[in-house]
Amino acid sequence: MTGNWKRFLLVRGVELVALAALAAVPLAVTNPFALGLLTLLAIYGILLIGLDVTVGYLGQVNLGHAAFLGIGAYTAGLTVTLLGGGMPMALIGATLICFVLGGLLALPALRLDGPQFALATLSFSALTTTIINEWESLTQGAQGLQVPRPPLLGVTLNAPDFYWLCLLLLGLVWMAMRNLLASRWGRAFEALRDSPIATDAMGVGAYRHKVIAFAVGSSLGGLAGGLYAFNFQYLQPQSFTYELMVILLLGVVLGGRKSLWGAFVGAAFIVLLPNLLSSRLLFQVFSGIGLTVAVFAAWRGLASKSTQPFQALAPVVAMGLLLGGSLLVTNTEDWRKAIFALMLFSVVVGLPEGVMGFATALLARLFRILPPALPAAAALETVLPQRPADGTPLLELHDLQRHFGGVCAVDGVTTTVRSGQIHGLIGPNGSGKSTVVNVISGLYAPGGGAILLHGKALPSGSLYRVAGAGIARTFQNLQLFGELSAIDNVMVALKDVFHAPLLLVLLGRAGAEELRAQAAALALLELVGLQDQARVRAKDLTYGAQRFLEIARALARKPELLILDEPAAGLAHPDAAELVKIIRRVHERGVTIILIEHHMDVVSELCDVVTVLDGGKIIAEGTAEAVKRDPKVVEAYLGVVAAEPTEAAA
Amino acid sequence: MDSSVIAQMVVSGALMGLVYALVAYGFQLTYATSKSINFGQGELVMLSAFFSLTLTHWGLPYWLMVPGGLLFGAAMGLVVERAGVRLALEQKSEGWILLTIILGLLFFSTAENIWGRDDRPFPTPISADPIHIFNVDVTPLEISVAIGVISIMGLIELFKRKTLLGKAFDAVSADRDAAELMGISATRTVMLSYGLSGMVAAVAGILVSPITTVGPTMASALILKAFSVAVVAGLDSGFGVVLVGIFLGALESLASFYLGSGWREAPGLVLLILALAVRPTGIFGQTAIRKV
Repeated sequence: MTGNWKRFLLVRGVELVALAALAAVPLAVTNPFALGLLTLLAIYGILLIGLDVTVGYLGQVNLGHAAFLGIGAYTAGLTVTLLGGGMPMALIGATLICFVLGGLLALPALRLDGPQFALATLSFSALTTTIINEWESLTQGAQGLQVPRPPLLGVTLNAPDFYWLCLLLLGLVWMAMRNLLASRWGRAFEALRDSPIATDAMGVGAYRHKVIAFAVGSSLGGLAGGLYAFNFQYLQPQSFTYELMVILLLGVVLGGRKSLWGAFVGAAFIVLLPNLLSSRLLFQVFSGIGLTVAVFAAWRGLASKSTQPFQALAPVVAMGLLLGGSLLVTNTEDWRKAIFALMLFSVVVGLPEGVMGFATALLARLFRILPPALPAAAALETVLPQRPADGTPLLELHDLQRHFGGVCAVDGVTTTVRSGQIHGLIGPNGSGKSTVVNVISGLYAPGGGAILLHGKALPSGSLYRVAGAGIARTFQNLQLFGELSAIDNVMVALKDVFHAPLLLVLLGRAGAEELRAQAAALALLELVGLQDQARVRAKDLTYGAQRFLEIARALARKPELLILDEPAAGLAHPDAAELVKIIRRVHERGVTIILIEHHMDVVSELCDVVTVLDGGKIIAEGTAEAVKRDPKVVEAYLGVVAAEPTEAAA
Repeated sequence: MDSSVIAQMVVSGALMGLVYALVAYGFQLTYATSKSINFGQGELVMLSAFFSLTLTHWGLPYWLMVPGGLLFGAAMGLVVERAGVRLALEQKSEGWILLTIILGLLFFSTAENIWGRDDRPFPTPISADPIHIFNVDVTPLEISVAIGVISIMGLIELFKRKTLLGKAFDAVSADRDAAELMGISATRTVMLSYGLSGMVAAVAGILVSPITTVGPTMASALILKAFSVAVVAGLDSGFGVVLVGIFLGALESLASFYLGSGWREAPGLVLLILALAVRPTGIFGQTAIRKV
């Protein structure tokens, strides 16, 4: 049995068995309470899969998901009561409205990160509650809204029927999201989390993907909301407040981020939580188990020195408080929020990967499940076609300027980079080299002057559009997508490979193109000598390998011009020698290169032309040998050879 | 509409707005040193107010209760820093957002269970009899809030600008690593900022409680507006929060009059979202240059 088959059987098989078992429950169990819990499990499953897109994949603290559940619920409810629509229309309407609102809310998020994003979603959520509460003519306000459950295609749905509908939708969402998150879309979401700047510079469009991810996640909140409305058949504004939000976050974090099973486990936990709290004995037993697990984990972590004391001990303290509280307090319901807080605290600090993060690693080891085999590498010619290197002007800078406040970082730089050459850019620290390439690559807009590519103006001030024009770059301070594997890093940037429309991706019909992309990415990894580490996470690679991976990733853009920003910085000697070989190989493909470097040996060995900057101005230009002897260059690097020899030595 | 009624609402609202400004100032203190803020700051305000109330129930006179409340606030600030912020900062992650939310929830639940869910009056030696100035009624109590807010902010700014310890704030803010190399303990500076921030929360609680009464829900009412003020003004805007606080306080007072009290919070929330969309660094904030 090949690894692929074993993997398929175990991974897909478990999913199918679980789904079948869940679907069979109403045949054996007729208890309405149990059925109600299962229905809620399916609804919360959809909800948490949606939340995981922003919290797990985008890595943002999203405090607006409970509001989207509410908006979806009220949309569905009002579609039925006011418009007289049927269930399909109500559910589709709830999903679409939340998709649009999610996208709109994410629009300003372009420039926001961490706390600001959390604040924007928090305000949105508070505003939503206010509107639902106060717009009484529409929502009946605090009085609540009665929602009848309309028949589906003429069939009246009883409790088991409705449960099957929810389960069916959960199954569909599961499949669609698995396909989406394993595709270029999911990779782009993760890339965005790890480095928005590099995502733009690789021509992926950070903004667009952030908006789409948030819209998709929110639309699932809307769908879950629609089902929620038809499940309870009564809506109240206070059901969708801050407390629910915290519980939802608890579910995602506890279950495990970036995992469909994690969302499911989290949903199961949320559904069972109220029952857990209603029985004091059950809760005491649960707290006891929690404390035991925390103590055991702390003991192991401290013994192996793999966790910090705080990370090991804080969950023990929190769980100890929980157990102590459960023994002292008579009414656990009153302390509900404190209990959520203590549990969430322990999980966030002590088990950041969540239950499924832990379990997945364990099961993969236990059953020796290997990741799917990679295809054979594509021919380099198809991935990085040979370009003519004819020495014609490729990139022209005319009187380029850039100020930061009063500091003139680039002050009138004029030069020409010729096709097929390796053009060195050197100068002492602070001479403006990095600013020049940051302006060319679109991170900064130029303060003045012009940049021409093939004689035509290059888009300015946008990494994304410059990337689209055929210029790729690496970064002096590495900007890899740390959580993604090496091959995924390259695949994020691949150009001209992905054509399948979103719908086909959702249906899982984009496998062929995925394989082609893997083959292409492998060819580039081979070029930089990383083909054997394709599945290693970028942040686990050695420093040298990370530098090479950035080059492979930039090459995935099939660039005409490649900008290497200090690629040898911090490299040990064998790696530096390897780097020179890699740059040679890239150069042989006809790629024009701008090389910023401090290592003069690397520069002399590789560069056809060298431009020397000092104080934002060009002080010399010519072959490496010529500029090295230029007195102005010597002066810029070593200072004036003055009467006191000590100064020159310094 | 009688213009004096509008003037009355604007003035009362603006005075309340100063309290939002003070809570927002608490965000600024910690943002300066660690680029983090306590999402549970509202709970610190509420908790400190409840604790101070208990001190007076134990028979402590008002002027002895105040320092007690402030010490408690500072201590709670340190707890937040230790339990919710430090680990995330060490890992250079944004985990502090979630952790401070969690701690806030824990404090909320604790307060709810210890002191009950009802709003309670808060004693003060300052009179609440209105004085009539230019057609507008102002109580000495409200004026004391304004004086309290401005003086505590002034004192802390003086401390930050004139003392060596205070200058460490700026140093850590500008470059944490360089400050460490210069012998400033960044961890201690961050602790100090959280302690101060907790103390500021306690001041806000003691000042505002005689007007609004004390109850668990005061936390969420205050925090959203303080967020709005902090973001609209900018998280590094210094006294900018005062102007925005006054403006927002007046605005919400008008909104609750014209639209109904349920819409009180709406203008602040809309302003917050707009500010984030248009100018995420705030009106008085500085734009940072992206670096790679």
